[in-house]
Amino acid sequence: MAYERYGSVLEAPGVSRRALLGAGALAAAFATAAKAQQATVHVVADTDPTSLLEKLVDRVTFGATQAELTLARSLGYEGYLEYHLDHLAIDDSACDAATAHLTTIGQPYLQLITQTSGFVRNELIEHCILRAAFSKRQLFERMVEFWTDHFNIDIETAQYYKTIDDRTVVRAFALSTFPQLLTASAHSPAMLYYLNNDVSTAGNPNENYARELMELHTLDVSGGYTQTDVQEVARCLTGWQIQLSGSTRGNFRYNNNQHDQGIKHVLGTTIPANGGQSDGDTVLSLLSTHPSTARFIAFKLCRHFLGYTVAPSVVNRVAAVYTATGGDIKALIRETLRPQHLAAASPKLKRPFHHFISAIRALGTTITSTTATRNRLNEAGHLPYAWQTPDGYPDKLDHWSKNVLVRWNWGASVATNGLSGITFDDATFFSGATTADERADRINERLFLGRMPLPERNRVRDYMLPNPVTQTRWRDAVGLAIGSPSFQWY
Amino acid sequence: MTSEASSGCSEYQELSRRHFLQAGTGLAAFLAAHAWVPRVAYAKSHRGGARDVIVSIYLRGAADGLTLCVPYADNAYYSSRPTIAIPRPDTADPNRCTALDARFGLCPAMASLLPAYQDGKLLFVHATGSMDPSRSHFEAQRFMETGKPGDQSIGTGWLGRHLSTVGAMIPGAPLRGVGIAAGLQKALVGGPDTLPISNLDAFGITGPGTTLNARRAALTDLYNPTPDPLHSAALSTLTTIDMLNTINFTGYTPANGAVYPGNSGFPYAMKTTAALIRAEVGVEAVAIDVGSWDTHDNQGTITGSMANLMSTLSQTLAAFYRDVVAGNGPNVTVVVMSEFGRRLLENGNLGTDHGHGNVMMVLGQCVGGGRVMTQWPGLEPQNLFEGRDLQVTIDYRDILSEIVQDRLGNNNLASVFPEYTPTMRGVFTC
Repeated sequence: MAYERYGSVLEAPGVSRRALLGAGALAAAFATAAKAQQATVHVVADTDPTSLLEKLVDRVTFGATQAELTLARSLGYEGYLEYHLDHLAIDDSACDAATAHLTTIGQPYLQLITQTSGFVRNELIEHCILRAAFSKRQLFERMVEFWTDHFNIDIETAQYYKTIDDRTVVRAFALSTFPQLLTASAHSPAMLYYLNNDVSTAGNPNENYARELMELHTLDVSGGYTQTDVQEVARCLTGWQIQLSGSTRGNFRYNNNQHDQGIKHVLGTTIPANGGQSDGDTVLSLLSTHPSTARFIAFKLCRHFLGYTVAPSVVNRVAAVYTATGGDIKALIRETLRPQHLAAASPKLKRPFHHFISAIRALGTTITSTTATRNRLNEAGHLPYAWQTPDGYPDKLDHWSKNVLVRWNWGASVATNGLSGITFDDATFFSGATTADERADRINERLFLGRMPLPERNRVRDYMLPNPVTQTRWRDAVGLAIGSPSFQWY
Repeated sequence: MTSEASSGCSEYQELSRRHFLQAGTGLAAFLAAHAWVPRVAYAKSHRGGARDVIVSIYLRGAADGLTLCVPYADNAYYSSRPTIAIPRPDTADPNRCTALDARFGLCPAMASLLPAYQDGKLLFVHATGSMDPSRSHFEAQRFMETGKPGDQSIGTGWLGRHLSTVGAMIPGAPLRGVGIAAGLQKALVGGPDTLPISNLDAFGITGPGTTLNARRAALTDLYNPTPDPLHSAALSTLTTIDMLNTINFTGYTPANGAVYPGNSGFPYAMKTTAALIRAEVGVEAVAIDVGSWDTHDNQGTITGSMANLMSTLSQTLAAFYRDVVAGNGPNVTVVVMSEFGRRLLENGNLGTDHGHGNVMMVLGQCVGGGRVMTQWPGLEPQNLFEGRDLQVTIDYRDILSEIVQDRLGNNNLASVFPEYTPTMRGVFTC
């Protein structure tokens, strides 16, 4: 019976043959995703960029939509990627308007601290959710996600400073160059406070930031530094503090009186005595031009966009671009997302934030309050800025793959309007679709760009039988689709 | 925030009740389909000879073992820590430690553990940890949890491999391993029937109650053909929802008048874990994290951040001891560890930076406790690891191996701790 229905799907308007073939490939890819960590998965490499458009949209956004796919088809593979890389040219006034009520996002520090830290924190998290869901600058938002994890700061510790960091570090340089981003982060009060560099002084260096600067931000744990390097870098960064009073309170402050002026040796380079603030600048330069940094950033970008296992040759190519361009982030993304690389990319599990946002995007949900979303993200262990340790939320299958309940419940609640402040207009969503089959096709088209594996599509269809379909059932069916295996991957 | 929080809660509570009401059909069918039956199969397994449930507690951030278990007989401890050291037990200082033996003492914030120690059920192991020299939290945690320090490629954890190489305590149990966390801890990766569950008392499907069973059926069908990891996660989730619904967490009364110090965070995790273990539903391994031990500044060993952490830790462990270990509960072994210790020398911010050797704790009915097991290397400069830190003289896997073999009934140590030959050090008396 299921396969009789299959025939009707083939002839359904709006579902192209290529999309169905794509669905088969996607299903096959999902089927092998489990082995992604053990062995490199070879998905049939199709380097015809046109056939990769859906996949490209999947990877550069927080969830594909028909509108994005239409745009990608009109611009072509390269044109679509360049469109997103030139993010400032994208008119985002609608999203700006939708976030205009978040008054703290643009406020200076002295103004932020006149409000409760909880209020400021919730506005920042709401801003993150709304931008991810509704900004047209989707690739930019995915890079904000990436750098927020890379330069992770726990908002419970950093409080107001994190709002400043998000604005002046992550968002300011997300598509700039890595050295600029690193320099901004090293001057960020949020980072200096979070990792104790603000109290690191001559004679009493604190190693916390120095270690994570090399281990997590630049070289990687096996990138070739020693415990002595950690101690020497800490000495170089003594006096990099935060202004604690006056009109510049909350700004970066270099305190020469507490800087260790002695000679230092970092990664084989001698840093002469009496260098003052330039000692730290030298360290940042040494680190951002180090081959281990090129490789580490390349590796993480490849994992972000391509999958849990990426061929070393691809990572090497991206690392070479890092070196050749001085860490130009747009150039790194271009190289990472070359069609042949994307063609070989294995599926990734959406992390809970990505999963939640992709459902919001696919359903055309309107949000008047993110309170419920924040609570659910917290329950899922993926509330923005809430990861306590400086390594950031894991980008690892093992960490996230066992918690399916939060995903099912997100689908069940959001599709049935069970959360206050979030509205799914199912009448518009299903406009023109009446029967269970038509509704299943609509779900497939909106949530999967027509690539929903047929057994899953048919099971969701069967949930809505018999005709005529009831509203409870068709809403539930959308929730089931959000909770279905294939919607967990991208 | 309030409205969602409260509506979410009532949604779960409604589901719980509904599940009970449906027990005549849903639960009976579920029990018929699964070979496990709560309590019955396990009822005779108390005490002698039975396999223990393991509760593995990880202090994230490198807890300072020189404060958790104070080496008061070492003058270098006091000369290296002029402001944060815990005073000797033979002083009149109100903040002095309590002697555990002639060398080590328990600091005031840990005093709640003295009864378990005096009962001989709590063992400290000192100058222990991973031999790997990494001072990276994340690498060291990963190495410890995989059970194979230095191996960058091993994907599974020691508890996961334990569960996968030993038969289920109760055949067909829906949940054998659980991490009280939103994301699965590395130690449990690879374990069959293993899930992360951040709140054992709020594990249910939301959405319209009238279609709950139909949606469950659809989810089952959707996930049946999908490969792992989602396949097993989904099926474990569905059966675990039913299993947890048979346990009254909210009304749980700890035994022996035990009082957990709070209804959130670590105390709540341990309290609900106690209820889970006492329900005897086949859970064999529980992993729980306690964070915020990375005390680079204002460590607060007497009052302050670490003292607060230690108070919560010790009071919770003491409650669990009264409730489960000293109570008439199933046999349990609790082990407490952290990725590495902290530097002997305090830094300029009244804190300590990353070190090496550390302390572990083992608590249980069969633990040969009431002592500090150690091959103490000393704290003089020539005795320190890399000239700075407490050495590791007992590999943490020696302790875990003995737990796995003697109390968890698993002889496959070569699988649980690959390429390691443990030295059995006599942790247990039974």
